[in-house]
Amino acid sequence: MLKFLKFTLTRAILSLVTLLTVSIIVFSLMEMVPGNCAERYLAFKNTAGQNISFADIAAEERRLGLDKPFPVRWGTWVGNVFFKGDFGESCILRLSINQLLSDKFWISLGLCLAALIFSYLIAIPVGIYSATTTNATSNNIIRFLSYLGLALPNFLLALIIMLFSTIYFGESLTGLFSKEFRDAAWDIAKFQDFLSRAWLPIFVLGWSATAFAMQTVRALMLDEASKLYVTAASARGIYGRKLLWRYPARHSMAPVINSLGFDLNRIFNELPVVALILTLTEAGALLIDALARSNDQQLAGAIIFLLTASIVFVNFITDVLLALMDPRMRKGLMG
Amino acid sequence: MKILFWKKTPSKNQQQLKEAYFTASQGQLIRSRFKKNRTAKIAAWVLTLMILSGFFADFLSPYSPNIAGRDKQYENGPPQFPIFWDENGFSARPFLYTTERYRSIETNFRWVLTDNRDKRRYLELWVDDWEYSYIDVSWDLPGKWFDVDIKMLTSTKHLFGMNEGGIHLFGTDKTGKDIYSRTLHAIYTSLAVGTLGVLIAFVLALVIGGISGYFGGWIDSVLQMFTDAIRTVPPIPLFMAFAAFMPDTWSSETRFFFIASILGLVGWPTLARRIRTHLLTERSQEYVLAAELCGAKPSHVIRRHLLPSFTSYIIVDLMITFPYVVRSETALSFIGLGLTDPVNSLGALMRNVSKADVLLNYQWYFIPVIFFIAFVLAFVFVGDGLRDAADPYSQTKK
Repeated sequence: MLKFLKFTLTRAILSLVTLLTVSIIVFSLMEMVPGNCAERYLAFKNTAGQNISFADIAAEERRLGLDKPFPVRWGTWVGNVFFKGDFGESCILRLSINQLLSDKFWISLGLCLAALIFSYLIAIPVGIYSATTTNATSNNIIRFLSYLGLALPNFLLALIIMLFSTIYFGESLTGLFSKEFRDAAWDIAKFQDFLSRAWLPIFVLGWSATAFAMQTVRALMLDEASKLYVTAASARGIYGRKLLWRYPARHSMAPVINSLGFDLNRIFNELPVVALILTLTEAGALLIDALARSNDQQLAGAIIFLLTASIVFVNFITDVLLALMDPRMRKGLMG
Repeated sequence: MKILFWKKTPSKNQQQLKEAYFTASQGQLIRSRFKKNRTAKIAAWVLTLMILSGFFADFLSPYSPNIAGRDKQYENGPPQFPIFWDENGFSARPFLYTTERYRSIETNFRWVLTDNRDKRRYLELWVDDWEYSYIDVSWDLPGKWFDVDIKMLTSTKHLFGMNEGGIHLFGTDKTGKDIYSRTLHAIYTSLAVGTLGVLIAFVLALVIGGISGYFGGWIDSVLQMFTDAIRTVPPIPLFMAFAAFMPDTWSSETRFFFIASILGLVGWPTLARRIRTHLLTERSQEYVLAAELCGAKPSHVIRRHLLPSFTSYIIVDLMITFPYVVRSETALSFIGLGLTDPVNSLGALMRNVSKADVLLNYQWYFIPVIFFIAFVLAFVFVGDGLRDAADPYSQTKK
């Protein structure tokens, strides 16, 4: 037990280090955007017809702490994020980023996690079936579909579904809420409305992750099924579904759990573009807004950091889970 | 046990085959295994065809893909297929009807195209039209030193055209640009972006993965930490952050190089990890020790001994990475952060289809989408086929 705690602790520290590295990358990226926050803050004065002098900019920089050296600024940013959970203010919107993101981030994270669960709910049974079946036709169909999942990008799928439903059902299926619920407080009716609309983004986001997961499961199953312990088990008289579930299927699950984090990464990848097409007003679309329309480096950095942090967190959870589940892992990790 | 005596001794031919198998080089083995995979073989043909049509896009397309090649008389026009006969009789040369367009109060003042079935226009092969160069490098990169302008092998010949008027196999878009010509050029652009991106990623992966795998120890740990950190950041949001740096004033060539380098800069970690893992297992082999005992420098050992041991894996990895790079570029261009006009990329072409109007009235806008799917599928199949062929254990497994 002590060893397990030690392992969890080491793993947690490692995750923190990864997060710190990511924060350096994200922060340097934010710094590289031409122009700084002080100039943006003052830009609106210019449009209002006032003159801005260099002294004004310098004063604003001092107020925002932008005149300090890079490591100090990074330190304050990271400190605020880690200890207070505060991402500062958006340069353009001049609002607290936490306020801007809070709901949107949780909704989009929920959507992505739902897409992840959806993709594995489909991928695991279908992948196992495809690896063990002798039916060539169904096998080929499954393989073709999984390849199509790679070749037909999610945004195209979203577009096609949306266009068709607009034309044939007169319903564009875009957005996450109906008009009457958009600004309403959360209650059961709003939640139902949300669910009735959320299935499309979940399906679209999970689309290529399903294809990837299916191929992984299939390959792992094929690998495991030809191993000697399976032969030995069948020699002992275990057969059929029992043999399948007790031996190869169980063993091939460990790498699948391990890859959860990267599948989440894949889903996050699709999020901004899909969000743009389906006009979901959550983090993904906000990211595009933050980046393309206005160069809002603070907001963009915060979103990328949050997305990465959730992936790191999932990776941490899956590692601990694996250590709990798989005796081989446990032994390897704890000596 | 009955005809044991009559058992045929292996004929000379078979023996030769056997010998050929055992003395075959790695490359020959891979090739023969690849040829047995029917899907991969078909995909390889499709891919070759697409690559060739991308490279000879200028020659194959009757019109310039840019605004210079627009057909003002045929905007939003449907695809035209040359035919050999109709009710007015047979013709040895394929022909098209002359299209006329008019608008009036009946058509709600929209231009409407009609065929005049009595006026035929004939298809011609090997026609003279707009000028192009097979080697046409004119980059307008920031800084005077990097500007290149080379034009070689200039020609005005095109595979086909019409004796009068235009031919639009895939129809035209709303400015009258030929979608067929644009698609071919877009394939070329996607290939170019992919190649450049994969190359940059490959060099980075080779250097970082190579150092980390060869030296191991704390260098490995630090580099791995860095690689893992980059790997966890979702790439497309990161691309978007990079792409936002691009000022609107940049020329399309500069944008092209910038996008390709971003794709490379973000795409290397997976490759680097594989190279590292492979190096880690290979470097404990005896032949590496022997080379080291002979006093070979690390760079020499990596270049002469370790790299050749997994060139085939690297090629396969590059093939597998390629479609993802193309996909990312397409996604970026699709949302308008990547390549834009006048560069024709598949993503830029797909931007046109995002309206319900298109699905109702101008379905031929979707033709580039089909090409994109076929392109990625072909790459994935070839990559998978190569991976199976390069894996020496793939046959024993089955």
